[in-house]
Amino acid sequence: MPTLILNGQRRECPEGLTILTACRSLGIEVPTLCHDERLAPTGGCRLCGVEIEGWNHHPSACNTVVHDGMVIRTHTTAVEQQRRTLLQLLADGYPADAVTAAPDKEFHRWLIHYQITPRGRLATDVDPAHSQPPFRDTTHPYLRADFAQCIACQRCVRICDEVQGRFVWRAWNRGDATRIRPGNSPILLASDCVSCGACVDTCPTGALEDQSIHHKGRPTAWTQTTCPYCGTGCEMSVGTRAGQIVQVLPVRSAAVSRGHLCVKGRYAFDYNHAPDRVTEPMIRDALGWRKVSWDDAVAFVAHRLGEIVRTSGPDNVGVLGSARGTNEENYVAQKFARVVLGTNNVDACARVCHAPSAAALNSQLGTGAATNSFADIEHARAFLLCGTNPTENHPIVGARILQAVQRGARLIVIDPREIELARSATVHLAVRPGTNVLLLNALAHVIVEEALYDVPTVEHRVAGWSVFREFIRAFTPESVAEVCGVPAEAIRRAARIYATEAPAMGFHGLGLTEHAQGTEGVMCLVNLALLTGNLGRAGAGVNPLRGQNNVQGSAHMGCEPDHLTGYTPLEFGRAQFEAIWQAPIPHQRGLNLMQMMDAAAAGQLQALWAIGYDIALTQPNTSATRAALARLKLVIVQDLFLTELAREFGHVFLPACSSFEKDGTFMNSERRVQRVRAALPPAGRSKSDWEIISAVATAMGSQSAFAYSSAEAIWNEIRALWPAGAGISYARLESGGLQWPCPTENHPGTPILHVDRFAHGQRAPLQCISHRASHEVVSTEFPFLLTTGRTLYGFNAGTMTGRTPNRQLRRTDTLDMAPVDAERLSWREGERIRVQSRHGAAVLPLRIDPRMRAGDLFATFHTVEAALNQLTSPYQDPLTRTPEYKRVAVRLIRETALESERAPADGVR
Amino acid sequence: MAEQFKLVLKNADSPGYTPDMECYLKHGGYQALRKALATAPRDLPDGKKLSPQEVIRDDVKASGLRGRGGAGFSAGLKWSFVDRRSGKPIYLICNADESEPGTFKDRQILHKDPHQLIEGMVISCWANDVKLAYIYIRGEMPHGARILNQALREARAKGFLGKNILGVGYDLEIHVHRGAGAYICGEETGLIESLEGKRAYPRIKPPYFPAVLGLYMCPTIVNNVETLAAVKHIVEMGPVNYAKLGTPNNTGTRLVSLSGDVQKPGYFEIEVGKVTLGQLINDANFGGGLKPGRTLKAVIPGGSSSKVLKAGEVFKLKRKGADGQMTTVDVPLLDLPYDFDSLQAAGSMSGSGAIIVLDDSRSMVETLANLSEFYAHESCGQCTPCREGALWLAKGTHRLSHGEGRKVDAEYLLHIAQNIQGRTICAFGEAAAWPVLSFVKKFREEFEAHGAAAEAARKNSTSAGTHQH
Repeated sequence: MPTLILNGQRRECPEGLTILTACRSLGIEVPTLCHDERLAPTGGCRLCGVEIEGWNHHPSACNTVVHDGMVIRTHTTAVEQQRRTLLQLLADGYPADAVTAAPDKEFHRWLIHYQITPRGRLATDVDPAHSQPPFRDTTHPYLRADFAQCIACQRCVRICDEVQGRFVWRAWNRGDATRIRPGNSPILLASDCVSCGACVDTCPTGALEDQSIHHKGRPTAWTQTTCPYCGTGCEMSVGTRAGQIVQVLPVRSAAVSRGHLCVKGRYAFDYNHAPDRVTEPMIRDALGWRKVSWDDAVAFVAHRLGEIVRTSGPDNVGVLGSARGTNEENYVAQKFARVVLGTNNVDACARVCHAPSAAALNSQLGTGAATNSFADIEHARAFLLCGTNPTENHPIVGARILQAVQRGARLIVIDPREIELARSATVHLAVRPGTNVLLLNALAHVIVEEALYDVPTVEHRVAGWSVFREFIRAFTPESVAEVCGVPAEAIRRAARIYATEAPAMGFHGLGLTEHAQGTEGVMCLVNLALLTGNLGRAGAGVNPLRGQNNVQGSAHMGCEPDHLTGYTPLEFGRAQFEAIWQAPIPHQRGLNLMQMMDAAAAGQLQALWAIGYDIALTQPNTSATRAALARLKLVIVQDLFLTELAREFGHVFLPACSSFEKDGTFMNSERRVQRVRAALPPAGRSKSDWEIISAVATAMGSQSAFAYSSAEAIWNEIRALWPAGAGISYARLESGGLQWPCPTENHPGTPILHVDRFAHGQRAPLQCISHRASHEVVSTEFPFLLTTGRTLYGFNAGTMTGRTPNRQLRRTDTLDMAPVDAERLSWREGERIRVQSRHGAAVLPLRIDPRMRAGDLFATFHTVEAALNQLTSPYQDPLTRTPEYKRVAVRLIRETALESERAPADGVR
Repeated sequence: MAEQFKLVLKNADSPGYTPDMECYLKHGGYQALRKALATAPRDLPDGKKLSPQEVIRDDVKASGLRGRGGAGFSAGLKWSFVDRRSGKPIYLICNADESEPGTFKDRQILHKDPHQLIEGMVISCWANDVKLAYIYIRGEMPHGARILNQALREARAKGFLGKNILGVGYDLEIHVHRGAGAYICGEETGLIESLEGKRAYPRIKPPYFPAVLGLYMCPTIVNNVETLAAVKHIVEMGPVNYAKLGTPNNTGTRLVSLSGDVQKPGYFEIEVGKVTLGQLINDANFGGGLKPGRTLKAVIPGGSSSKVLKAGEVFKLKRKGADGQMTTVDVPLLDLPYDFDSLQAAGSMSGSGAIIVLDDSRSMVETLANLSEFYAHESCGQCTPCREGALWLAKGTHRLSHGEGRKVDAEYLLHIAQNIQGRTICAFGEAAAWPVLSFVKKFREEFEAHGAAAEAARKNSTSAGTHQH
């Protein structure tokens, strides 16, 4: 360990640190302006110059590495004078009032510290040769630019390049005439900007600032919590003022997000204060919704549920936990169903997204969750992305993958669309929706045929090798190329990269799971990882990217009809759970969400309690769903808003807190449990989900089992039941999240699963999966294949993003079509198109998208107006009952033509 | 009388010599490459064995060749810094972004004898296990780029370049990349950024030493045109004979660009240190003396960024006497041998080998204003002191040269320049500061007189409302 003489004191510091890092770790503050620990040092501002004995100049501390015996002085008269001069140079021409308006900004702090007053820009400063005015842009809903305050530190330029990978900001001209502006557009809104706000976050002057600060003022209090959107698990600081969120900033020390956020996490928080937020309990009678007291609402729910359980039996009730709720709340929800109601009819939205991932990973590897961590992205030499669009749907993961690829990692993208990462991909396999199994098998075929598999793994850690080797023989790339729509040579290239560029890391999304062969598709992916030895090591694995903040947790806490907390099979955990719950657990297998809909349609389910889950909008095949929901005698909706489910089918509405208003934990995609902390008191009379459920449980006679004092008390009960989570205490979570398995309080958590053995044994089986063609077939009548999904600015049913300025960034759902199809049909962008499937119809504006392949369509489901799920089919993955959202055969009719009664109608065959 | 020594330019200016392959081969072209590729391994006295490539690298080190681009750093030593264990490809870049004001020597090679450069490059690449090399040529030299591309095509056709060069199983490709029109593109890390398609912002060292983290973050050698051409001659003559040219520690020959107030401005090739500054300016073989009736005022000895030397200055140089003892001797300006070490000892540098002569008709204030305007225009804008400071220097010298200055401006200019040098990512900071520091220090009275005159003029005409700065 090098020893330094730092300002006269002998200090030790770890090898390889820069002088700046060493000083900071030893509590010495060296001024900087162009430095940001998220970025590579550039050494441009020179403020961090220090004196080193024997050096004839003042090196910048940000990039100079410490050596043993270095004698460093950080605050001599000479370097302090140098800093003063530099700041004077920068302050010359800087707006004087900016400092007083925001004295906390980095640059302003140093000006104040060194007692330098900006002179302001004088008329004589304007040199005709350098007269380009500073960039100014107030048109973006979230970011605001006024580069009169720019000191050319280039942090905005660099963070956009080095963290987000969008290259929006660019330095124009040179020397003193340097101006920072977007590279390809006069305003941010029209540029490649993805509104992540990283540039605002790093700006040391306020040249870039959040609009919310201008409109609402600076926060007066800060709370660190976990993002309420996707399953990445970014940590954020929520700034509040006068009972409202006014700013969200990334947490620099966050394990996953490492000081970065996307537009949803950083900016899309206005839903919390939306005017249509419902904060009073309500009961619907003949006259409509009527506000009631909590006592009345709870009594109503308890009475009606009790009645149905008594008269028709507990299995006539279903409970849906919420991916938006905390682990504690989902735990309480499933406990309520099993203990108070006496039914295993409890499920959550994992059913419609990653249940296939959990099932496949659990059956093959013994643990139904991601095998590796996001930290492995920096270790991977290749990536295999299958049916996932991370830069839009998991933007922080997407940005990290993009950076890794820009540093030289190989990238294989399997996706029908040319998504953003496909443009950076080494190989893009634009697979036909519904043929994943064939394609993945062909990859396995190449790996086996060309003997690219990892021999030690195949010999020692795999079962069923010889059978699999025979089975896979038939899946030549040439034989699947046409059905999959992918050239055979591209399949071979991809297989070679995945097998030889070790370690290779797999990420997959709903493009793999939301198919009739969803679970089997994931199994094919697991096969690939097993064959190539890409399990149990850093930079590898099979990793589902979970779509919602706590979808992993909701299922894992037991909102699963045949699993208890900890993904424990019902019968396996019965004794232990009954002992702690002091109540019997029903033996009858529960219904999952899809089965609940079927039962409701058949009159065999009478009541449904939906917590934070708008199934009226998100279930596939809306007409069948609505018919089923209409038959329910009791629909309890617990939410922030009067969702479509509540509006049409609700009988009682229980106003819940948002995740900004409660304590608890979320579990992200990589099994990391992280704290959720209340930044605000509950809005109006809203309550935490666990408080509401406990109140109903108490009213139904289960006082003692639901007498929780806090979220932490619930968590401690969970720890007692879930051995892999036993070591995760709230106290430990204060210093960052922990990844399970974490069985004891001194266990560090498990970033990588299956290192020496699989959870169920030494060998994991290779699965021989045959392709089954989808029922959704393209025909002359239904000539297009539609897939559905999300976009950067929208999130699922739009309940949250639809109530934020994100709506300005993407105004409507669209039907995305390949230019060649639009050209053939002579259709123009924006025309309203009726999309008709065998199951229903929806009308969407047309968007011509060069990323689409001819014959394929893509549409989002973020708005109520589009109600896209009227189109989707009743077909499901038979193993998990996950719906086949990703493949619907449709035909298109131009609405505009119909409206004007032009003949003949532009029906397309 | 001092004479030129033509080695690199031996053929270029011969009547009838053309830049094509046929002519080059007729004059013995690519024999050095054949010789290099046939190099035998060498046994060292300590029992170690050098591979043929290592032999060439060793020879270049032994030849004493110093970089001809500006810094004069040992070429062999530079090669020895290359990280050869990284597993990454090694790149070689020929820096042909000749743009230091007053310098016009590399273009003589590029335009008239391109194969000499290519041969030197192929040898250097082979010696350093380089498979892909670039010639980064100044954007304002499109004709040079055309000539180079033609020469590369010819070399490929003849098997001196491309796959399996001369049948020894060595593959090399060389691409010409035209520069982006900025002085900073000649700074080696800026050049690398520019070659990667980015703005030529120089990179900070550490960590971005080109020998370790250069082009595409791979080990990279950046050498000047003349340096690479010299490698061919080192192989041809052998390092010992090459080192006999010139003077100790300043070996070989060097191209000198002579401009300014001389009768015969132009480029010359000399043995390093065998010709003095005075001979270069006055001898009929070189500059042919000052213009009639003029006296020498100053010499900028190594490109516009080198510190100016004042006529009549006498420097203390260390000399090794016949008895082997080091003695200090007084050497007047015009007796300074034109080499790396003497110019450095005189407080300046031989830089890019560009000598700019100023006679008594020149105003030092105007000359400096011209130079400072250039550096303010070319500052890339990355570092605060240079971005802001270079502009202040330009403004200060501008107002002095336009009769709007003050007497204290001399001190003011020194203060700013001192705050630039040593405080920037790259050497541009020094390039901008050194002319100011040397001009003002050595010609202080002229600067102060300009300022004082302007102050007096303003005083006399205050009623006219001249604005104060």
